[in-house]
Amino acid sequence: MTTAPRAIGLPVGRLPRQTRRRSSGEHLWRWGMMLPILALLIGMTLLPLCALLILSFSNVTWQNARPILTSAGLANFAALLHDSLFLASIRNTLVFAAAAVSIEIVLGLVLALALGAVRRGKDFYTTAFMLPILLPGIVIGAIWALMYNPDFGIVDASLGALGLPAHDWLGNPGTALGAIVAVDVWHWTPFCFLLLYAAVESLPTDVFEAARIDGASAWQRCRYIALPLLAPTILVVLAFRAIIAFKVFDEVYLLTSGGPGTTTEVVSLTIYRRFFVEDHAGSGAAMSIVAFLVLGAVTLAAMRMIRKRQAR
Amino acid sequence: MSRRSRMALLPHGVLMLAALCFLGPFVWIALAGFKTQIALLTSQIVFHPTLRNFHDVLFSGTSDYLHQCLDSLIIASGSAVLDLAVATLAAFSLNRMRWPAWCTIAAIGWTAVFHMVPPITLASAWYAMFRPLGLDNSYVGMILAHATMNLPLTLWLMLAFIADIPTEILEAARIDGAQPAQVLWRIVVPLVRPGLGAAAVLAFIFSWNEFPVALTLTQRATATVPVGVASFAQDAEIQYPQMAATALLSILPATVLLLAARRLIVKGLTVGAVK
Amino acid sequence: MLKLLAAALLACLSTAVLAAEPPITIAAPQTPWFGGFHHIVDEYQKDTGNTVHLEVSPFDGLLAKERAAVRSGQSPYAILIFQVQNFVEFYAGGFLQPLTAIDPKFRLDPQVYTFDDTVFWNPTTGRCERDGGILMSVPVNPNVPVLYYRADLYAQHHLPVPQTFDQLLANAKTLNAPPRIYGFVQRGDRGTLNIGWDFLPYLYGFGGDILGDQKQGDFKVVLNSPRALAALQFYVKLAHEAGHPNPASVTQAEVIQDLVTGRAAQAMITVAGAAQMDDPDKSAVVGKIAYAETPHAAGQVSEPPLGHWLGGIPHNLPADQQKAAMAFLAWFQTGKAQMDYARAGSPPVRRDVLTSSLANDPHFGWMRPLAESLQHARQPFFTKDAPGLAAVFDLKLNQALAGELTPAAALNQAAHAMEDILQKDGYKTGILPDLKE
Repeated sequence: MTTAPRAIGLPVGRLPRQTRRRSSGEHLWRWGMMLPILALLIGMTLLPLCALLILSFSNVTWQNARPILTSAGLANFAALLHDSLFLASIRNTLVFAAAAVSIEIVLGLVLALALGAVRRGKDFYTTAFMLPILLPGIVIGAIWALMYNPDFGIVDASLGALGLPAHDWLGNPGTALGAIVAVDVWHWTPFCFLLLYAAVESLPTDVFEAARIDGASAWQRCRYIALPLLAPTILVVLAFRAIIAFKVFDEVYLLTSGGPGTTTEVVSLTIYRRFFVEDHAGSGAAMSIVAFLVLGAVTLAAMRMIRKRQAR
Repeated sequence: MSRRSRMALLPHGVLMLAALCFLGPFVWIALAGFKTQIALLTSQIVFHPTLRNFHDVLFSGTSDYLHQCLDSLIIASGSAVLDLAVATLAAFSLNRMRWPAWCTIAAIGWTAVFHMVPPITLASAWYAMFRPLGLDNSYVGMILAHATMNLPLTLWLMLAFIADIPTEILEAARIDGAQPAQVLWRIVVPLVRPGLGAAAVLAFIFSWNEFPVALTLTQRATATVPVGVASFAQDAEIQYPQMAATALLSILPATVLLLAARRLIVKGLTVGAVK
Repeated sequence: MLKLLAAALLACLSTAVLAAEPPITIAAPQTPWFGGFHHIVDEYQKDTGNTVHLEVSPFDGLLAKERAAVRSGQSPYAILIFQVQNFVEFYAGGFLQPLTAIDPKFRLDPQVYTFDDTVFWNPTTGRCERDGGILMSVPVNPNVPVLYYRADLYAQHHLPVPQTFDQLLANAKTLNAPPRIYGFVQRGDRGTLNIGWDFLPYLYGFGGDILGDQKQGDFKVVLNSPRALAALQFYVKLAHEAGHPNPASVTQAEVIQDLVTGRAAQAMITVAGAAQMDDPDKSAVVGKIAYAETPHAAGQVSEPPLGHWLGGIPHNLPADQQKAAMAFLAWFQTGKAQMDYARAGSPPVRRDVLTSSLANDPHFGWMRPLAESLQHARQPFFTKDAPGLAAVFDLKLNQALAGELTPAAALNQAAHAMEDILQKDGYKTGILPDLKE
């Protein structure tokens, strides 16, 4: 994955003129091959999103087992501006994603480069690093909740063995979000590592050899050759991880359920409670749309900023 | 020790530390599966191992683990296969059949954008759509849902792999008069087979581990393993040993798969494999 | 020979007649008492030959499934078990079939508790009342908080069983020896009536309330009253002086964990937790835990909140399935079934079982306090949007316990938020003047 357009599969280069004639058969294939994805996307994404949009402008009540949709205009959206819980959830989600994703990419990169630099033990390390991907998020949440427990968890027990004081990581408003970031790092660094390692393995060795012969240190080779070559992959991994991080639900549900106070309330949790527990479909839909717009805008801005620094 | 050899040990040191951090909790989970709940809660290091948790998970009346494994297997394989088929067809068409560049960007953009909507909200919309069609609590419904959720990743991967096939090979085939379908099936697929494998494994794992949508769309007949695991987290008690036992039982086949497919995955993701 | 043949024929006929009902599915929650419920469902199948399937879901997932079930064309479940926060939503929405509409002769057994009349619903007045109300559901499980305390430590320190909150605090301070043992552990986590439910015995026990007399149609918000403030101040004080260092994040499961590991000397938590106390696989304090009714403030009475489960029949069900569901509910409320239920480890809903000789068994030490509590237990919310009110109640209480808000500010903000919700839902409401912050 060498250049950004290729990294996302855009066709590169133009073909000779005579092959640009299209037969009608090819036309059929061209569209025919796109049909499955279009069907899936329209059926499973477009329709629900339209329904969501309609819901966000309505109030739903039930009478005689029938739903009654009344138009609420922008009321649901306006209410969100005063909803301290929702605002806290957006803020927490952004902070969480920024912290978690940046740590995971850095760690993943470090591990990928380190693995690229060693000759023996590659199999063992790759297997060890890929194991956390196999666990469902809720198992990770439950197990880490137990490990973090200040009364009988292993984290504080280990700290105690080292002579450090025990600390209620999840119960303390100051450290709760950080503790969850740590769990997420444990969960997702392997994913970043995997994709980055594949990219590291495909780096051309001749450029590095030439640099080494010219006397460049390992650090210089890394900074000035490896990183720029890996940049497109890093960008894509960043985008993917950020989007997944914004939707975090499983771990937080089991670790803290949004508490203490509102310090670990994330958007998915708030939406879940609004929709499924409190049964306020209109408000839940409005939340989903606002969340998606905010998070989308942030992702695009971040990617543009990184690409600009790239180009420098 | 010379500076050179000390430097050579540095990456090993970093890797070893990381490996310990990742493996440590696994060892802990493995031990937890054999403890009684009170032994786990009181962090007993020396304890009497018991098989009661595994017995509860596998054979008791309240746990449905084996059936859930089957459900997860069907749904995960089904959605992975569907994803690969849809993504490969679309990737081949977008990349090699001369759509304007904005189409590819739009396709990826749409899947990414949709990817950003919390799956929770989509789950309720899907339920409302599926129920009149009888697709709720069905394998088909879950396969469609998971395929849609994992589509961005598989589409991106297949686009990258197909983009790296040298144009000359495909041109030669077309000049020989091959139909696009034959080009795809006879030439492209064999070339990207490692990539297909990698994408399939990732899609399978993500589907297997998915929780919120599975919780909403399934009932007892189609419940997946994460839904089963969640049932151990109750309001008055979290049955950690049973959860650990389930996790251990679930990891074993996945670890075997991983050990067998590990090289394939890394190779597949490495573009160099195509060449 | 002929007699034998006749007897055999009769037996065959009667089993054929017995399995008269079509198979049904019950939607049930994954709770501690589910084991007992599962057991008697098996008993029912053996007794009558009918088939009953159980669809078990984790807590929140169950509510979503039940809502979806009643809103669809045909419900996949014949009996819905729902917790009492959601009953008005189901009753008012017309989602349930009145039991007397299915079987006009059916009556709730007089020995079965009516749980603050929550089993009745008067569609004209929109209230739960016995006179003029229709029977909508059968109680499936009682649920009130009781005081759990370490009887061995009480004996060691010569402590009396506390009647008042001040006595509770005194006991807690005596037994408090952190970090080895906490005098009292509270469930302070935020959810939909988590910390809220934990706080209600204090609120009611100090003579405070959330709303006016809901059963008379008065939904005025009275949460931010001086008595409520006294209750909340005591609640926070208890946590600071003799409690867990970070109470705002402690869940119900963790409170029970603290009890079974010996980390907590006392707690006020759901009676359903008793099942774990004497299980040697789950508890390090087997035989050491005793139970009592929740205390009250001086000059007030003990009034714990209700959190029980009800079983109702959806409206969108064919007639034969409704009949089959009725058959189960009718069998469920009999004395024999309830006795089995209690023996299998689940609190019964019949007075005679709860006060029977079973209560003398040390394994069932929670029965007497439960029976006493049920005499004055109160239903907190009789409104359509109980979850919405509960969520804001939890949020503000949690913030007060975590120190994000002062008790007065928390009560004021909660009261205003509740008034907004009630007004939007068309209830006749009002509010007290703000407390001084």
